[in-house]
Amino acid sequence: MTFRRSFRMSRLSHLLPWIILVVTLSVTWLLWRHECDTSRKEMQAQFDFALRDTVSRVEQRVAAHEQMLRGLQGLFATTGLKNRAAFRDYVETLQLDANFSGVQIVGVVDLVPGNQKKAHEEVMRGLGVGAYAIHPEGERELYTPIIQREPQVGRNRLPPGLDTWAEPARRLAMESARDSGRAAITAKVRLAVDKKPEAQPGFIMYLPVYAYGQPRDTVAQRRSHLIGWIYAAFYIEDFMASLYGTSLPGVALDIYDGVEPTAGALMYSVGEYSAQDGHEGLHANEYMVVAGRTWTLSLRSLREFDVRYGRDVASLIAATGFGLSLSLALLSWFMVTGRARALRLAAGMTEELRHMAQHDPLTGLPNRALFSDRLGNELARAKRNDGHFGLIFIDLDRFKPINDNFGHATGDLLLRQVAQRMKETVRASDTVGRIGGDEFVVLMPMLADAEAARLLAEKLRHAIAQPFMLEGRELSVSCSLGVALYPNDGTDEITLAKSADEAMYQAKQSGRDRVRLAS
Amino acid sequence: MIRRSLIASLLACSLVSSAGATGFDCSRPYSLALHEHGLLYTVATDTGIDKDVADELIRRSGCKVVVSVMPRARIWQLIESGALDFSLSGITNPERERFASFAWYFSNKYYLLVRKDSGVNTHGDFERNARLQLGVIRSFRYSESANRLVDRLHQAGRVSQAGGLEPLYQTLMLNHIQGMIIEPFDYPALDEKKIREVSSIIEFNDPPVLHGLIMSKTALAPGEQEKWRALLSEMRSDGTIRRIFEKYFKPEMAASMVNFQGVR
Repeated sequence: MTFRRSFRMSRLSHLLPWIILVVTLSVTWLLWRHECDTSRKEMQAQFDFALRDTVSRVEQRVAAHEQMLRGLQGLFATTGLKNRAAFRDYVETLQLDANFSGVQIVGVVDLVPGNQKKAHEEVMRGLGVGAYAIHPEGERELYTPIIQREPQVGRNRLPPGLDTWAEPARRLAMESARDSGRAAITAKVRLAVDKKPEAQPGFIMYLPVYAYGQPRDTVAQRRSHLIGWIYAAFYIEDFMASLYGTSLPGVALDIYDGVEPTAGALMYSVGEYSAQDGHEGLHANEYMVVAGRTWTLSLRSLREFDVRYGRDVASLIAATGFGLSLSLALLSWFMVTGRARALRLAAGMTEELRHMAQHDPLTGLPNRALFSDRLGNELARAKRNDGHFGLIFIDLDRFKPINDNFGHATGDLLLRQVAQRMKETVRASDTVGRIGGDEFVVLMPMLADAEAARLLAEKLRHAIAQPFMLEGRELSVSCSLGVALYPNDGTDEITLAKSADEAMYQAKQSGRDRVRLAS
Repeated sequence: MIRRSLIASLLACSLVSSAGATGFDCSRPYSLALHEHGLLYTVATDTGIDKDVADELIRRSGCKVVVSVMPRARIWQLIESGALDFSLSGITNPERERFASFAWYFSNKYYLLVRKDSGVNTHGDFERNARLQLGVIRSFRYSESANRLVDRLHQAGRVSQAGGLEPLYQTLMLNHIQGMIIEPFDYPALDEKKIREVSSIIEFNDPPVLHGLIMSKTALAPGEQEKWRALLSEMRSDGTIRRIFEKYFKPEMAASMVNFQGVR
């Protein structure tokens, strides 16, 4: 039970860093998404405000101009259309007001039935308008000549008498004003006073003037009591420049006449928008109705808008959140695995120490202590099973001169190669050990008889007798081997070792490079 | 003490009678704004339901009322500021309740008008197709679920605003917008057939929404508002309102719009 619980706990603790990573990354993602959403909403709100504000400023401006014309309407309703001096004074007063700087011209249009053309022209000449004539010439059922334009300055100086009834845009607005009794504006037109080679987009606002004191409650009444119109003509450029307040930076605004945003209908454009620059901004069209006419306001946000009103916190949140998530997961991983890693480290170090304590540092062979341990084990086993095993003492012949002549480094190298060759020669179950300078021992468990031991020893002698290549130099060395067998040559460690040592000594005595059996 | 209060009440009686037979205080001219909107009001002909209701209100009150025409958004601004006294066919919401008082005289449902070629059969279809654009009139509010739809589409940048109905119909015909929210009186007399040919109607599952005379709380004292409300109530009960609606709708439709229950 306890084991199972601790197993579960350990699995859980291993999962913990991953859980923390997933949770913190999820939180980061949620925060990032929330921030993106908030930022987008804020931009949208700013953009909506820009659109609403623009629409409202245009509407207010149109209303102000309508109000100005209503003043004139009041004047003419009581004095008649031909009160030239009063009209001139009125417009002169307006000219002093910078608020009306968008107005290019203010004019009066008379309504002249076809049969009264001559009389009308005479009256006009009588009022001091020399050489007055309705133009273009020709007989028509109805004439709507402009009888006065103010202010009469500079480019506005045109002869009066122009009849615009035949021009569809003007006529439509005049009819609309006449029937509704309210202000009506034309589609995009070229103003009569516009003498530039390229037409400047303009529009005209008409207000009807009815005969004083006559009813005008129905369309029919309004038609029969109409005496003329007053109008104000605008260049859209000047009109927009005269808007109250300042426009929002970072947006491009296009104004089109009507609901179709075509090049021909474009009246006004401000802000450099280019479809090629790849900026995915906000865009909205608003179809505003100004004095009965629809204008399409097309607003786009530019990069500057994003910079000004966008909050670039989302990427910061993403980067910081990602970094923190990783750090937190890493930290928890360190904490969770700290004990396990320390234990592993300790075990590794212990193993290393144990190896160092039991092995010869030069050759990596078991040292005297380990070899003695193995010998002890083999002795016990052989005693238990009535088995045999052999022990070989090996001493290199004339090793000292090698050390003296070639140095200890070469000597050590030779010892290492000898050890390697011995390990390769013995059986897998045998143990080779180094017990001192140039002295080696081999433990051969489970031997059939003395001959098997002698053969193995001979094999070792032969292997060592082969020349060694040491740093490009060929060296030969021989060895003397003494073999002792259990139980014939001893039944304990000391006796056996003594027997093998003596046999080895005898091998030396009898001329080296040979094997001697203890018995 | 008793004598003094008697004199005071006599004085009060004489003041009321001097205000006119209708009990209206016409000491100042009032202002009323119409907005051009389908059958409610058409500038070109200077006719419509709102115009008729306004004329009758003015006639019965005996007061001087200056009538002007302006965009709906501007009307709400001016009602809030108190620069405008009245407008017509308004619906309420909590925000408007703060500055406006209403006298109800008809109710109607809202509908989503969609182009047939947009493949939309439900409100959900419209919302799901990100390419579809909805046209609305600036400052207009509708029934509950219609408002929700408009607000969500607005957040997604899928709403085109307009100053009136006419441009919305034009842009719908041009396929610049694919849907708009309409009321029974929104079909313009002109082009009605063409619009019906390309569009279909989806009803919102909301109860009918009350429409009424909008009164600016800033401009009109509560007592004054009550007098105008009573006047309108009289126009409902004597059948005047129904007759006005019957000029523009079939009798059953007119009846369904002007007969509503549970009004304060």
